[in-house]
Amino acid sequence: MIRHPGTAKYGLALAMLIALPSPVRAELASLGDQALSDVSGQGGIYLSGDVSINEMGGPVENSHFGRCDDATRKCGARFAWRLKETGGWMVLDDIRGNFSFEGLTLRVRHVDSGFGGDGELFNRDVLELGLPNTVRFNDVRFKIAASNTARPTDPGFLQTDIFSVEMRGEVVMEGNLLVFPTGNP
Amino acid sequence: MTRQTIVAGLITLWLPLPVSADLKRLDDNAMADIQGQSGITLEMDVGVSADRVSYYDDGQGVHLEGFRVGSSVTPDAPAHHEITLDVGQDASLNLEYLVEDRRIEFGDVRLAGAPDVSMGGLFLDQSLQGTLTMRSGGATGHGYTFDTAYTMTGGRLGYRTNGNEVFLDDITLTVEALGTTLDVVGNTLTLNSPSVVGSLDVGAIRYSGNSLNHGRSTDASTGALLPSYGGLSLDYDLSSRTDLTAGGRSGEGLRIDHETTIHSASFLYRDDAHTLALRDMSGRYQISDLRLDVDHDWKGRPALALTLGTLEGDLHIGAIEMGANGKSVGQVNVSFLFKDQVFNGRTYTNAVYLQGGGHPDAGPQGLRMAAEWSLSLADLSYTEDGNRVIFSGLQSWGQGDITVNVTRDETRNGTRFYDGLRIGFDGVKAGYRINGLKVGDENAPLQGGTELLLALGFYPAYEFEMDGHITLAPGGATGEGLTVNSDIQLHNGKAAVIAAPYDEGSGDIPQKGLWLTEVEYDGHVREMTLDVTDEGLILGTGESWSTMDIGNVRVGDKSSGGSFGRLVLQKFEKGSTMTIVPGGAGDVCAGGVGSSASACAASGGIWQQRGDEGITIRLKQLLAPADGSGRKNAIAWETNRSSDGSGNAVNGTGTQLVLNDIYTSDGGDFDGDGRDDNTFGIRTDLSVDVYQTKVVKKTDGADSLGVTGNRGDEKIMDSSVAQGYRYVANPTPDEILDRPLGFAVKAESRFKELSINRVDLVHPVGGPQTAIYGIKMQNFDIKANLTATPIP
Repeated sequence: MIRHPGTAKYGLALAMLIALPSPVRAELASLGDQALSDVSGQGGIYLSGDVSINEMGGPVENSHFGRCDDATRKCGARFAWRLKETGGWMVLDDIRGNFSFEGLTLRVRHVDSGFGGDGELFNRDVLELGLPNTVRFNDVRFKIAASNTARPTDPGFLQTDIFSVEMRGEVVMEGNLLVFPTGNP
Repeated sequence: MTRQTIVAGLITLWLPLPVSADLKRLDDNAMADIQGQSGITLEMDVGVSADRVSYYDDGQGVHLEGFRVGSSVTPDAPAHHEITLDVGQDASLNLEYLVEDRRIEFGDVRLAGAPDVSMGGLFLDQSLQGTLTMRSGGATGHGYTFDTAYTMTGGRLGYRTNGNEVFLDDITLTVEALGTTLDVVGNTLTLNSPSVVGSLDVGAIRYSGNSLNHGRSTDASTGALLPSYGGLSLDYDLSSRTDLTAGGRSGEGLRIDHETTIHSASFLYRDDAHTLALRDMSGRYQISDLRLDVDHDWKGRPALALTLGTLEGDLHIGAIEMGANGKSVGQVNVSFLFKDQVFNGRTYTNAVYLQGGGHPDAGPQGLRMAAEWSLSLADLSYTEDGNRVIFSGLQSWGQGDITVNVTRDETRNGTRFYDGLRIGFDGVKAGYRINGLKVGDENAPLQGGTELLLALGFYPAYEFEMDGHITLAPGGATGEGLTVNSDIQLHNGKAAVIAAPYDEGSGDIPQKGLWLTEVEYDGHVREMTLDVTDEGLILGTGESWSTMDIGNVRVGDKSSGGSFGRLVLQKFEKGSTMTIVPGGAGDVCAGGVGSSASACAASGGIWQQRGDEGITIRLKQLLAPADGSGRKNAIAWETNRSSDGSGNAVNGTGTQLVLNDIYTSDGGDFDGDGRDDNTFGIRTDLSVDVYQTKVVKKTDGADSLGVTGNRGDEKIMDSSVAQGYRYVANPTPDEILDRPLGFAVKAESRFKELSINRVDLVHPVGGPQTAIYGIKMQNFDIKANLTATPIP
């Protein structure tokens, strides 16, 4: 994907893919491009750590939401949106989980070589997100649902859960994600 | 210069002008005749006034107008002085003095070249009691040696413009300076003070917007105590040396060289019963070639010019304490060097040109400082629980006018003013940048990490042109404290979100990064209070709104880097707060889940006890719904813009994605006022520590410094090897103790409900089309625990 910058209208959109497991990462992992470009600046950061969502529950406590040790309440986060002014709501519901990593790097680098010769033509700066080799997911889960109201506490609330996703274990994420602008700004 | 002249001059340093005039009547020879006598006691009631006292430099004058010495209690009355004078067995001259309720003041400082405006007036009230001993000798054997000790009580020091004033009230000052010498060396007068020990206490810093008040703690109309910004205390043990030489930067004038060593000091700011303390301070500074001239600034305006050669020094603060238990945030060290330097192809110097006037609409009195600065290099380091992070290579430069007025709440000549000390910015072009962070010590490699502080609005580099003001009013949310009103506009801004070093060891290079450029910012703050409380330092904002129009988000070079397009950020908050609390993250389960060491380890995490020190910043952001006047929270991203004749993108000609009207709420109308409650907002706790972290090698072979290891090996610090670290496949418990230090930020953001009214797609011809009719996010609690280290 990075070999053909024209395939993406804006490289920034690629950054959004980092959070989603997809074949994109497999393809990025195959680009061992450390030796293929100059590194501009010895700064940058190597990040180790973890991110969690609603580990013990969120801040709302009412008839619908509660702490995670309360089996009668949902403790995950809720994200609802609607595409028609008078339509129903699509919902990502009961979102929670935790993932951790070592080795997420962030820096600005200049690419002017490599990539099968494309790098020399490319010849510009990019924002490089170096993916950690392994990301450990711990009880990451959410549901996709449809609802008639934005809030589960609204009168007449009805919701249909369509399917649930649960993730646990390690995901290999190798390579670099290069973010750069293309097209007319 | 004769010895008699020096004597008279030195006495003037301790005692008021009229007294020294009286002393001149007793010449040294006459006093020598009374050696061994019991001395002379002089009792005087001194009242002096002069319309104008002038100083001329190369024919250009500065006038002190409305000069007066007299009683601080009764207008037009004299001040009482008692002086006992005798000569000791060693031929020393001994004075004991008592001064009661004296005021020294001048109503205006006016430049002869700008007679229509003045810098405002100053006054000093004091009661003094002390001693002064003077004997011949000095450092060279041909000068004088002095010992002095005095106490000033009931002091006030005030600044007044256009009938409004700010003053330090209820000042108590003690000074003991022993062995001070005064010598003439060549053409230089040298004052050397090997020991100056004392304390300063300011009971309150008060403001008056009533022109009937002058140098009084209470309001003349109501009798109430004037509002206070809080009080100050300072203890110090110093030594200093000052050289004075004739000759300004051009022609006549004065050259000052000075150095001070702070052996120990402590500083306290008091807000009601709460204290912010800087303790165990030490340091030094040296001023070289400071010149005083009556001259013109770079725009040709008459000014009292202070131009600097260099200023360098360092300051160590052993503890910054706040909160109920005086808990320490940690230590801070600062080193700095101000000297001429080239930034962006232009040489900047250090100079202040003092002029009259202030803001032109505030009245004829005020201070305008045409300033230029060049901070060539500064390092700021922060140490908590023995671990250190250095904000390395801070540089700053700028030029522009800064105005100072004491103003009151009114619209005057079409400009809105607020109660308090108004600091205005008029055409200030400035910038700063840091080279990077270093964790551990000065020899550590440069790294990023400021990216983790973006939530606080911290940018590692910023250039801008600034206009506007910040007005500091007395009184916080309760009692003493500060209230801030401000209106700030930035133009042509270039702010780095991510920045590579500007110097990797071989001199200046273009600083690469992710830049927000062509920034136009318009920000307003109303009734923002600052208080020291049991918890820490609290900033509470009544109302704030701003628009940050970022012409281009560029990657690479700040001027020529590729652009992601235009970004417009609008903010509108009511009742938001920020609290700075001592103490960092405390116990942390890094990379896992659990509130105990065993639970953390069971989840695969690393249990970290990050200690008592550190700093935590708690933000509560209450995003208000759009109010119909254009104030709202919104994000717009525009691309595919047309270009003008110069190739620059024209805003408003492209396609926009707009997240329109973003606001927080508590998820319902629980108080029955017909509107959703909005008291919780987005709450973010951000804790900063310096702590060890796990760094894993990502590839086989040598890293950027040539240290070899296999993928998955851990980086372990080891001072016995060349690069200071090695890679270990399976570190032992002892080796785990040597994991590298990192800049550790733990953040937790929570909100009950965050709504986006709609998401629009805007076509330059077709206009807006709504793509999403509402987004509602509920019950979020997101924690991020990240530690930044250099890229191996």
